[in-house]
Amino acid sequence: MKTMEWGFLIVNYLFLGGLSAGLFFVSALATFLYKIDEPSPYTRIARLGALLAPWPVMIGCVLLIFDLGRWYRFYKLFLHLRLVSPMSIGSWLLILFTLVSLVNCYAWLTENQRSTLFAKLPRGLAFFSKFNYDIDHWRRRLALAGLPTSVGVGIYTGVLLGAVQSRPFWNTNLVAQLFLFSAFSTGCAALILGLSGRETSAQELRLLYGLDICFMVLEFFIVLPYLIHGELSVQAVQDSLKLVLGGPFTILFWVFFLGLGLLTPLVIELRELVPVIVSNREFHYNRLLAASTALLILGGGFLLRYIFVFAGQMSAMQ
Amino acid sequence: MPARPKRYAMVVDSKKCINCKACVVACRAENSVPLAYSRNWLNEETRGVWPKLMAASHPEQCHQCDHPACVRVCPTGASHHRPDGIVVVNEADCVGCRYCMIACPYNARFFREDKGVVEKCDFCVKRLDRGQLPACVETCPSKVRVFGDLNDPESKLAELLNNREYRVKKPEAGTGPQIYYLI
Repeated sequence: MKTMEWGFLIVNYLFLGGLSAGLFFVSALATFLYKIDEPSPYTRIARLGALLAPWPVMIGCVLLIFDLGRWYRFYKLFLHLRLVSPMSIGSWLLILFTLVSLVNCYAWLTENQRSTLFAKLPRGLAFFSKFNYDIDHWRRRLALAGLPTSVGVGIYTGVLLGAVQSRPFWNTNLVAQLFLFSAFSTGCAALILGLSGRETSAQELRLLYGLDICFMVLEFFIVLPYLIHGELSVQAVQDSLKLVLGGPFTILFWVFFLGLGLLTPLVIELRELVPVIVSNREFHYNRLLAASTALLILGGGFLLRYIFVFAGQMSAMQ
Repeated sequence: MPARPKRYAMVVDSKKCINCKACVVACRAENSVPLAYSRNWLNEETRGVWPKLMAASHPEQCHQCDHPACVRVCPTGASHHRPDGIVVVNEADCVGCRYCMIACPYNARFFREDKGVVEKCDFCVKRLDRGQLPACVETCPSKVRVFGDLNDPESKLAELLNNREYRVKKPEAGTGPQIYYLI
């Protein structure tokens, strides 16, 4: 009777939801560092993050809806709020986060972009032009309002899996933290990638690399106790860890996720940033290196979800 | 004195099982379960080497848990607990997210592709409401299954549980399963 119920749609959704949460979180942090009346080195990070944040999660939600038994029944999720069900809380969180990030995205559009957007409206929707307001001054408030929802979405994707007691591979509080920091790290990586095509200032990269290093170090120090504690736990958990310790996910986990997706980009970013901080040397920015590092992190984030979704479903109590 | 609430449960005496699968067929007919799926099944077990060989079959189905993981995770409340302890799925509310299937430690649920909803054993609630026994219990030729009310001290079920040793499966899952296997 045992089947693999959640597949690629869910893996992609978990990744895209986390990516949006990360983009919004980093953008919101950059917004707080940005002073309204003064030119700030972080404006571009805040703007790019805000402009990109709503889209991955919206694509993820569409995937999630198509994973349901019948896609048109998704509205039933919003006829109920069940505080004991992570999926019910998550559905509401996703709606809230998407709405805030959409308004925040609008708030970061320039006047020209807004005018172009409204000019492209079909004639029937012309009355929407009335909403062509300048809400730039809301940016900080929106960042503040969206911050808890972005953390919520980042944590929720892990809680969704961690709450399942019958799957020993998932059933630990570390999964939620792991997914949260991985989400923030992928958000940072997407911004590094997004900025790598343009002229980038050293200060921008210092902020992004600094945050990314923090998130990846936290992620690494969650993976370690996850494995150690799992090995010291009951037999069912030890058995489930065999999936990544000799089982079918071993190479994917150790080489591709931990090696290439986490430790390699961490070492590269440390190598770039530490001399700048310690010896006050000038930041030597290599566009190609930054973009490849970001791609490795994004790949690692995706693989983490892939491994957890599939290995988790393969693990069971004996 | 108000009537005591009912708590339906089942006792299974695997030693009596002859692996005829009449229970599976009866369930399929009663609940119109398509051939690809099953609400109940038999776990076959063999131990030893011929000629010193032991073969046994253990009937399995939803354990109608006291603290069901499926009910807890269900985002719409489609999976719910009846006052008599039976866990049922309200098809009208089920969105087919299959979270309950992943949460169930017994893998007792299945996804109906044709309907887009999740199904499971519900102790034949329609028959119970008409005063009949579940189809699998009624049809079993060797009386492997005993169905009844845990709160009724006069029931055959209570008598067996009071006088015989029994076990439940995966108690460590903490869901309080209500299918009792006699030892």
